[in-house]
Amino acid sequence: MSEPMERRGIPVGRVIASQHANTQEFRVVLNDDSYLQLDDLVMLETEVPGAGTVRTYGVVTESEGIYEGAQYESDTFRITEEGILPAAKIRSARVSVTRVDPELWVAPDPGVEVYRAAGEQRDKALYKDEMGRPLPVGVGRDQEPVYADLDFFDGRKGGHMSISGISGVATKTSYALFFLRMLTAHPEILGEGAANLRVLVFNVKGEDLLWLDKPNRYLDQEAVDVWHRLGVEPAPFKSVRFWAPPRRRSGDVILPDTGGRLEGVDAFAWTPREFIDEGLLAFLFTDASDHRNQIGFVEERVRAQLRRWAVDVAGEPGAVVLRAPPPGGHKGAPQAVPERGEPVIRSLSDLVEALDEYLDPPDGSEPDLAWSGRTQTGTIAAFMRRLHAASHRLGHLIQAGESRRVDRTAAQVTVVSIQSLHDLGQRFVVGALLEETFREKEQTGRRLPLSVIVLDELNKYAPREGRSPLKEMLIDIAQRGRSLGVLLVGAQQTASRVAPEVLENAALRVAGRLDAAEAERSEYGWMLPSTKARARLLKPGTMVLSQPAIPVPLVLTFPFPAWATRQEEAAVQDDPFQGL
Amino acid sequence: MTDTQSDPFHRLYVESWAPEYGASMEVDDGSAAAASVDPAVETSDWRPIEGARTDAPREMVFVDGVRRIEARLTLDDPLEGPVPGIMGAYGVGAVIWKRAARRSDFTGLTVERLVVMAKGLAVDVHRIGALPVTAESVPGDDASALVSHLQQRMRAAEGALASALAGPGRLVIADGPFHEVRAQPVVGYVKTHRTRYLDGESGALIGRLRAGSRTPLFLIDSERYPRYAWYLRLADLPGHSWTGVVRCEVSAALGVEAAVQMADWTAGLLPGLSSAPHIDRRAPQNLVPIAALERELRKCMGDQGLAARALRSAVRNRRLAGIGGGG
Repeated sequence: MSEPMERRGIPVGRVIASQHANTQEFRVVLNDDSYLQLDDLVMLETEVPGAGTVRTYGVVTESEGIYEGAQYESDTFRITEEGILPAAKIRSARVSVTRVDPELWVAPDPGVEVYRAAGEQRDKALYKDEMGRPLPVGVGRDQEPVYADLDFFDGRKGGHMSISGISGVATKTSYALFFLRMLTAHPEILGEGAANLRVLVFNVKGEDLLWLDKPNRYLDQEAVDVWHRLGVEPAPFKSVRFWAPPRRRSGDVILPDTGGRLEGVDAFAWTPREFIDEGLLAFLFTDASDHRNQIGFVEERVRAQLRRWAVDVAGEPGAVVLRAPPPGGHKGAPQAVPERGEPVIRSLSDLVEALDEYLDPPDGSEPDLAWSGRTQTGTIAAFMRRLHAASHRLGHLIQAGESRRVDRTAAQVTVVSIQSLHDLGQRFVVGALLEETFREKEQTGRRLPLSVIVLDELNKYAPREGRSPLKEMLIDIAQRGRSLGVLLVGAQQTASRVAPEVLENAALRVAGRLDAAEAERSEYGWMLPSTKARARLLKPGTMVLSQPAIPVPLVLTFPFPAWATRQEEAAVQDDPFQGL
Repeated sequence: MTDTQSDPFHRLYVESWAPEYGASMEVDDGSAAAASVDPAVETSDWRPIEGARTDAPREMVFVDGVRRIEARLTLDDPLEGPVPGIMGAYGVGAVIWKRAARRSDFTGLTVERLVVMAKGLAVDVHRIGALPVTAESVPGDDASALVSHLQQRMRAAEGALASALAGPGRLVIADGPFHEVRAQPVVGYVKTHRTRYLDGESGALIGRLRAGSRTPLFLIDSERYPRYAWYLRLADLPGHSWTGVVRCEVSAALGVEAAVQMADWTAGLLPGLSSAPHIDRRAPQNLVPIAALERELRKCMGDQGLAARALRSAVRNRRLAGIGGGG
C-alpha cells in the first residue's frame, strides 16, 4: 500500500462487503463520481496476513444498479415519484479475476479500494508483461491495444486460430485479415518467423479479398487513429498476388474467372502431369459419403496406376499418355510420341475417357484387373460416375500446357479465389493447395519459414461427421502443423459443425456475433456465461478473444480495414501520368 | 446510587432464557385519559374537514425510535439477594422528506446501549467487548420498570431529536403521544387508540371520516400536557370503522390557528405516505418513511445475537471494562 496512487490508478469504488468475494469473481460498489463499463480493467490490493500485498486484476463482466432500501418492487414508485421512502442508489460492477500477483490465490478483501487499471497496471491485468511476444490484436473498450502472445500462434507454445461467428456481419474474414495485417506489419514482434512468412488465403465468398492491395477510400480519421495506436500504418497489404480459376471455354486465351477484377489476377490450373504426380485424384473424392463405401479403395489403386503408367508427350508440356510400364517401371522421364489412335490426355475429360477404357470398357468387357482390383462392379460404376461429374464441374482446372500452378512464393500473401467454383471444385483446390503446402514443410521438417493458411467455411472442409482426405489433412495440419510452421486460421459460422480435432488445437479462439443457441454449445465453453450472453449482441468489428496466456476471454474491437473489400471501396488511384 | 460490594462482577450472570421472556414488552406510555376534553376549540359544527396542502412546509420530518432487550441479567448481591437487570438498546433517528426534491434521507441516527439494574444498584461498566454501554438503575425490583426505563430513555431521545429538527419550513411528525409540552411545530402521531376522547355526536364522526379528511380540533386539557388533537383517516380500507384512523396532537401552546393549519397539512399529506397492507402489517398507520426508519435503526443497532454474545463472553471472561475499585 506504500506505492503512490498514480501507480495504482484512479479509485472507482470498493469491493462489496455484504457478499462473499472469491478468487474468481467479486463485485465493486462504485463511488458516486465513478463508473465502470463492461470490459473495463480494474486492480486492487489486498493485505494478506503473513504474505504481504497481493494485487488482484480483473475485467468487468457486468454492470448493475439498485435502490438500497427498496424491499418491494412497488417501492420503486415510493422512492422515485414521491421520494417518501429513503433509499440510496447503488451502482456496482461484477468483475472476473484475470490475475493475482504474486500468485497467491486469495480472495480480495471486502471493502478495499478498487482502481481503474491504466498504463503498467493495465498491461499487468492483460498479462502483457508475461507474454513472450505480445502482438496487438485489437483495442479494448478504452481504445488501448489488447495483445495476444505470438508464442501461442506461431507454434512455439501453441498454434492456429479459430474464428466463429454468424455470417452476414462479415467479421470473421475481416478479423482474420486484420490479424494477418498485424502479423505482417510487426516483423519486430514476429521475429525470425517474419522472414519469408507466407500467407495463403482462400476467397470463398464474393470477391471481398480481391482488393487487399488497394486502399479503402472510406477509411476515416477515427479508424486511422486506431491503426496508429496499434502501431501500424493504415495501408493495404503490400505484397499480394491474386489467383483465380480459368474461365471455362475462354478459348486459347486463359483468363481468370473473376467478376470485378481482372487486372493483376492470374489464372491457375494444373497440368495432367501435375495432377497425376501429386495424386490430386484423391481430392476429387472429398465428399464425406465417399468413404462409407469402397470408392476410396478404387481411387487409391487408380491413383497408383496413373503414376506408374503416365508418360510425357513429346512437344506437349503437361500432357501425358498412359502406357503399361515395363517391369521396374518407366525409367527417367521418357518422352513418348503418341501412336496413331493412342489417346493423349490433355484435360480431365481426356483422363476420364482413358480410365473408362480400363474400368468400364465401352465394349462391355470386364474391367482391367490391374486397375480395378477385385472391386465389385457397382463400386466401380459409382467411382466412374463421380469422376464424370468431377470432370464436368472442375475439368477446367486441369489443362495441359505451360504450368499455371499457384506460385505461393511470388508474394507474401497469396489470395486464391475459389468462390466461382462448384463445392467439389472448391474442395479440390483447397485440398490440392493444402497438400502442397504441408508436404513442402514436411519435407524440410522445420518450423521456419512460417506458412499461414486462412480458410473460411471450415465446416465444409473439415465437417464434424464423416471422413474425407481433405478433413484428414486439416486434422493433420491442426495436430502437427504447429511444429511444422503450418498455421491454420480457420473460420466457421458454427464451431459445432467442425471436426473437434481441428478446433481443439487452435490456441487462439475468437468469436464474433453468435447465434444464441450456438453460443450455448460446449465448443464455446471458453467463454464466460456473461460473454456468451453478450455474444449474440456483438456488433461487427467486435470480437471475443481467448488465449492460453489469459484465463478470461477479452472483448476487443478492430479498426475499419485500410484495404478495400469491394470494388467501390477501392480508392481511385492517382493517374501516374498526370501532369506529364 | 448504591455502591456495590467489592468485585461485584464476579456475581453477575446472564440469564439463559430469551430476553423477551417473562415481562410484557408492551409498555404503558402513560397517556392517561384527559381530565377534560373541549371539542369546540376549532368549530362547534362537527363535520369532516378535508385536508390541504396549500403552503405546506417544504420538508416533513419523521422522528421515531426502536428498542429491544438484548439480555436479562442477575446480580447476586450479598445483601439484596439476586437483583434483576437488563441489557437493552434503542435507536432513534429521523427521515427528512424533501418534497420538492422528491427524496428522503435519514438523519440523526443514534444508538444507545444500556445496562439497567433494579434496586438502585448501578454497576460501573461502560464497555462490553467493543460495544459502548451506559449503566443505569431503577428503584425497586419490578422487572417491567427496567423495560420502561429503557422506553423512557428512548422517548426522551426522540423528543430531543424532534426539537432539534423542528424549524421554519418544516413539519415534524414524532411517533407516539406527547409527554412534555413543546411550543414547536411537532406533531405527535398516535397509531393505536387506547383512550376514547370523544363521545356522542363528535365521537361518531370518526367512523364517518373518509381518507384525507379529519375531525375538527379538540383540546385535551390535561394538566401536564394541554394539547390540541384531531383524528384523521389515512386510507379507506375494509375493516371496522376506525380502520386507518390515527390521532395527531400538537402542543396547545402553539395556539389554535397554527394547530388548525398543521391539522390540515397532516390530513392533506399523510395519506400519501401510508403503507400498503400487503407490505406492512401495521398498515396503513405505519407510514412508509417511519417503517424505513425503523428498519434502518434496527440495522444500526447491529445483530442482537452478536451483542448478547459479547456480553456473555465479557461476563465469562470477567472482562467488563471499567470495573470500579473495590467498595
